[in-house]
Amino acid sequence: MSRQRRLGRLRGSPLFRLRIGFVLIAMVLSVFSVRLVQLQGIDPRSYARMAAEEGTVDVVLPATRGDILDRNSEPLADSVDGLMVVADPLMTAERAPEIATFLSKRLEVDYFDTLERLRVEGSRFQYLARQVPATLAKEVVDDADELGYEGISTRRDPVRAYPSRDVAANLVGFLGTPRKNGAARALAGLEDTFNGYLAGRDGEARYEVSAGNRIPLGDNTVTEAVDGEDLTTTIDRDLQWYAQRVLRQTVLGARADSGHAVIMDRRTGELLTVADYPTYDASEPYDAAEGLYKSAALTDVFEPGSVEKVLTLSSLIDAGKVTKRTRFRVPGSLERQNRTINDYWEHGLLNLTLAGIVAKSSNIGTVLAADEFGRGELRGYLTRFGLGQRTDIGVGGETKGLLPKGEMWTDQTEDRIAFGQGLSVNAVQMAAAVNTIANGGVRIDPSLVQGTAVTDDGTEVGTDHATRNRVISEDAARQTAQMMERVIDPEAGVAPGAAVPGYRVAGKTGTAQRVGPECRCYDGSFTVSFAGFAPADDPRFTIYVVVHNPRNGGGGGSVAGPAFSKLMSYTLRRYGVPPTGTRPSRLPVEW
Amino acid sequence: MSPVPQLRSRLPRFAEAAVERARLTVVPRRRTRAPRVPFVTLVSTLLLTGVVGLLLFNTSMQQASFAATALEEQASNLSAREQTLEMELERLRDPQRVAEAARRQGLVIPSAPAFLDLETGEVSGNVAPATSEGDVNIAAPPPGRPAELDPDPIRLEPPRNTGREAGLGAPGNGEPRAGGQGNSPRDNERRR
Repeated sequence: MSRQRRLGRLRGSPLFRLRIGFVLIAMVLSVFSVRLVQLQGIDPRSYARMAAEEGTVDVVLPATRGDILDRNSEPLADSVDGLMVVADPLMTAERAPEIATFLSKRLEVDYFDTLERLRVEGSRFQYLARQVPATLAKEVVDDADELGYEGISTRRDPVRAYPSRDVAANLVGFLGTPRKNGAARALAGLEDTFNGYLAGRDGEARYEVSAGNRIPLGDNTVTEAVDGEDLTTTIDRDLQWYAQRVLRQTVLGARADSGHAVIMDRRTGELLTVADYPTYDASEPYDAAEGLYKSAALTDVFEPGSVEKVLTLSSLIDAGKVTKRTRFRVPGSLERQNRTINDYWEHGLLNLTLAGIVAKSSNIGTVLAADEFGRGELRGYLTRFGLGQRTDIGVGGETKGLLPKGEMWTDQTEDRIAFGQGLSVNAVQMAAAVNTIANGGVRIDPSLVQGTAVTDDGTEVGTDHATRNRVISEDAARQTAQMMERVIDPEAGVAPGAAVPGYRVAGKTGTAQRVGPECRCYDGSFTVSFAGFAPADDPRFTIYVVVHNPRNGGGGGSVAGPAFSKLMSYTLRRYGVPPTGTRPSRLPVEW
Repeated sequence: MSPVPQLRSRLPRFAEAAVERARLTVVPRRRTRAPRVPFVTLVSTLLLTGVVGLLLFNTSMQQASFAATALEEQASNLSAREQTLEMELERLRDPQRVAEAARRQGLVIPSAPAFLDLETGEVSGNVAPATSEGDVNIAAPPPGRPAELDPDPIRLEPPRNTGREAGLGAPGNGEPRAGGQGNSPRDNERRR
C-alpha cells in the first residue's frame, strides 16, 4: 500500500502527467513540422529528384537513321545497331596484357594501342573499339566477363554501312565517327543535306527498376522514338556501278585528270547515274583525300565546248531563222573584232548545210548561223535551257555555272558562247539541257530524289517538284535530233565511236579549251565530252560523258564517244528498250 | 434479472395487483441468436483470399516483368543479329563483288543488245556473239606510289657552250659534261 502511494507521488497528479505528455508531443510535432517545411517548402525538387534517382532508370530509345536507297530499294547506305567497347582503366590496368591479347584477337584492334589504353592512369573511360556490330560486341563482352576480366563494357554507337563502297559515294556522302553520345556526324553528300530528314528524333523511357527488372506498377513514362525516313533516290545502283567503271577506264585510258558521266531518264528527268572519277570509298572515307568528298558533276564547272552548239542551233531553228537544210558557205577562218575564229581542222571554203555544221562541229559555221540572232535572244534561250542556274537536286555545294550577263555579254562573247566557250556549266545542268532536245523541246528539271524530301535548309526537292517548261518547239527539237544523228555517221560525222549497233543514236561531241586550275586561264589543256540520246526517234535516255584534260591527244569523239556507246548500250539493254527499227537520218551535210 | 426497474419499487404499495397490472413494461428485445461461425468464416475467407490473391497477382506481375525483360533483351539481340546478317548479305550483293564473280565464271557484257519477240519469234537488234573483247576493266587500279618514293627528277642545266668546251665535247651531247665539269656552286647544291 505504502509503495503504491510513493509511486503515485512520484508520478504526480494526473493533470501534471498529462501536461508533461502534451509538452513532449508538442515538441516532437514541432520538430516534425520544421522538417516538413524544410522538405516541402524550401527545396522540394532536389529531394524529389533524389528519391526518383533511387532505382529510376532513364533510357534513350535511339531513333533508327533512315536508309538511303536506290530506285529499286537497294541500300546505298543503311544503319546497323552498333556498340562501342569501352574500358575503365582503374579496373583493367592490373590484367591489361591478358585483356589486350583477348581483345586484339576478337575485335581486330591493335594490341599495343589497346594495352596502352587499358593502362591510362587517372582515367575511368577509354575507347577500345568503335562501331562494332552489336552481336559481336555483346559476345566479346560476355566472354570477357566469363573469363573474369572486369571493367569492360559497351555503349551505344550506331554503325552506318555503305555496302556498295565507292558506288554513288560522290552523291551519298558518309557519316564520320559518331559523337560520344552516339549522335551522327554527317560529313558529305546526301547524308549531310538531308541529315535532319534521315536522322529522326530519339525517344526516351523512364521507369523504376529493382534488381535489373522493371517494377510492374512503378513509375513508367515512354516517349517513343521517331525513326528517320528513308531517302529513295533515282539512282540505279548497278548502272551507277557500271558507269563508274566505264568512266574510270576512260579517264585512265586517256591519261586524263578526271571525268563525269550522267545518265538521265528522258521522260522523267530522273538521274539514273551521276558518276565522278576520281571518287572515294564511302566505307573507308579517311583513306581518300578530303578534296574528293564532293559530287564533282555538280560542284565543278567547265566550259561545255561544241556540245553547246546544239542548244544554239536548236534555238535558231525555234526562232525561225534557219532550218536543218539551210546552206552556209564556211570559210577556213573568220575574223571577228580583231580575233580569228578557227575550226579544229584546216579547211578551205566549205559548202555546209546546218546539219553539216553540226556533223562536222564547225565553229565558224555556228558563229555565222548565230549572227541571225537579235540582241539578247541567245542568252534568253540558254537561260531557259537551265544554264547559269542551280539544278537544286539536293546535293550541297552545287555551282550555278557562269552565263555572262549585262555588260559582260558583248558581241565577241556571244560569238564564243555560240560554240560553247566563254560560259561554264556543271555536268548535270548540261545533261538536262541536252535532254530538253531529246524530250521534244520541253525541259524537265533533273531530280535525284524520288517523291519528295526536305533538305536541312527547308527546301523540298524530288520528282514531285520537278517542273516542265517548253524551251523550243517540238519541230525544232526534232530537226536538231536529226542533225545530231549525222554526228555518229562514219562518213558525214566526227564520232562514229559513239554508235550503238542496231540503234539510232543522236549526239554531239565537245572539245573545249579548259581553264587550268593554276593560271585561271586557257592553259592548253582540253575538256572533251559527248552528249547524246537514243533511240534518236523516240529517245529513252540522255547520257553525257565528260573527260577533263586527256593527255592522249583524243577529242570528244574518240575519248568520250566510246564511253557513251558502252553506257548507252548497257542502259538500253538493262531497261529493255528495243531498237525502233526505223531508218537513220540521211540529212545532207554538204551542198 | 427482472426487467422491472428498481425505482418503481419505491412507490407506495397499494393496490399492488392493479398497479402491477397497469404498469407498462418494455417488451423484451427479441434476440435472434444467429450462429456466428459462418459469418466469421466468410469474412476470414474473404480476407484470406484477398491477401493471397493479391500476393499471387503481385508475384505473377513480377514474373511477367522478369519475362518481359528477358524477352526484350532477346528481341534486341535478335534484331541486332538480323541487322548484322543483313549487312553481310548486302556486302555479298555489292555489284563489284557480283561482277567479279561473274567474270570468273566467264560471263561478259554484250556489246549491243538484241531482242527476241516470243510471240512472233522475230529477232531485233544487232545479233552477235558476246566476247570479252573490249570489256570494261572492273578491277581497281593499283594504288600509285606515294610522293616520297617518287621524287621529281633532278635536272642539271648543261653548261654554256663556250667555244673551248664545244670543241671538247661531242656536238649535241651536253649531258655528260654537265656531270663532269658543271662544278658551279649551284650545281653542287642540286646534286646533294
